[in-house]
Amino acid sequence: MVRGTAAKVTSVLRDAGELMAFAGRFFQQAFHKRFEWREFFRQCYINGTLTLPLVGITAFIMGLVLTVQSRPTLERFGAASMLPAMVAISVVREIAPVITAIIGAGKIGSSMGAELGSMKVTEQIDAMEVSGTNPFRYLVVTRVWSTTLMIPVLMVISDAIAIWATWIGVNIKDDVSWGLFYRQVFESLEFSDFLPALIKSYFFGFAIGIVGCYRGYGTEKGTEGVGQAAHSAVVTASLLIFILDLMAVQVTDILGLN
Amino acid sequence: MDAQTSLEHAATGITDERVVEVRGLRKAFGSNVVLDGFDLDLRRGENLMVLGKSGSGKSVLIKCIMRLLQADAGTIRVLGQDVLTLDQEALDRLRVRIGFLFQSSALYDSMTVEENLEFPLRRHWITRDPKQTDALVDEVLNAVGLPQTRRMYPSELSGGMKRRIGLARTLILKPEVVLYDEPTTGLDPITGKEIVELILKLQRAYNTSSIIISHDLNVAKLAANRIIVLHEGRNHVEGSYADLRASNDPVVRSFFIFM
Repeated sequence: MVRGTAAKVTSVLRDAGELMAFAGRFFQQAFHKRFEWREFFRQCYINGTLTLPLVGITAFIMGLVLTVQSRPTLERFGAASMLPAMVAISVVREIAPVITAIIGAGKIGSSMGAELGSMKVTEQIDAMEVSGTNPFRYLVVTRVWSTTLMIPVLMVISDAIAIWATWIGVNIKDDVSWGLFYRQVFESLEFSDFLPALIKSYFFGFAIGIVGCYRGYGTEKGTEGVGQAAHSAVVTASLLIFILDLMAVQVTDILGLN
Repeated sequence: MDAQTSLEHAATGITDERVVEVRGLRKAFGSNVVLDGFDLDLRRGENLMVLGKSGSGKSVLIKCIMRLLQADAGTIRVLGQDVLTLDQEALDRLRVRIGFLFQSSALYDSMTVEENLEFPLRRHWITRDPKQTDALVDEVLNAVGLPQTRRMYPSELSGGMKRRIGLARTLILKPEVVLYDEPTTGLDPITGKEIVELILKLQRAYNTSSIIISHDLNVAKLAANRIIVLHEGRNHVEGSYADLRASNDPVVRSFFIFM
């Protein structure tokens, strides 16, 4: 049993080391003069525009549910008027970045793992290489840059939709104008609520892209491996998002931004 | 080379210039030695077939030639350049002069046939003129007899059609050397024969030299000027189809068991 546990720990550490090496290879190639703009914009469309409906619906539900569920507790303490501010701060600081990233890990990470995995087992990556194209630069660099830049954009949109849903949630029982609600929200929000969330969302986007590509690019064992790549891309990226979130909260605490 | 062979080669357009030279190639995966001192020469205009049973290291050989796999020992020279010591940029430039037809065709399934064919052109700035690109795509699609598939996706094509489009993509850069990995495997005999005839037709049209990896003796009979039998990682026997047909060597005979 000890030997089995040691082997598992070794395997996890090796995997982490290989992921770090893969990320290192990304940084070596990420600023190459011959950037694949066309593929990059295609990936931004796939990972940004096509993910927006899912992120938008989730943000709307998240804002509405949070408002409806928080109201009874706040009313008990006579603080119902704080509802817009409380929900907005929760959404902007924590909920929108993490939920957006988790949705990204599920949708984008899994599709990257499966797509690159299937390209690997059907020799499409080799075909790219023999045609004199650098497949890492074409496939990995463009995808990782696109998630790194698109997840923050999705997060900002998610913030806006969730706050709008909060206004709808507040108006289920009250009658608050959009102007008043808007003022209440933005008087309670500070730039220091938004900035750390924005910064960590870049890290979340990078984690989703690099893990999805790493899992897909390293696929072995044929079609079975493609399924494993998609599955483990989601699991690893989700776990990494929570670890990064934990680190981010410590850093913001140290910097006095909490 | 004797006088008779020289005359035969002159008739088939084969010259003495060696476009691929492999010496003492060794490749192992862990303790499994796949190639153990393999030698090969491909002359310009020649169709050389490497015959071997499944798992004998045929695909490993051509992947080493393209440096998709790193050889453990030996030398590989293609079009006068030492493949194993080239830097990445030089290797990419050399790879443009070498075509590779994958066993699975390896078409990019997120792209249409047209985009698959344009891909290598765009990568190497062969042309930036859309009209010229269109003309090149038309040319290779007509050459493989599938002009109607231009807007189709690989998932809409049959196995034989995929192989033809793979061939078209290989030829669009006008390579000097083409490596075929099991070009007829997985195809019915009629389609397999059509593919071999197409390979020969295109070889004449594009003036290529070829290494064909296969265990299919019909390919050997129809397409090969010379055959090397790869056995236990080494050159076992070399000769024409007729030489092998007449051989009493048990390894060679085992390939003719169903003929």
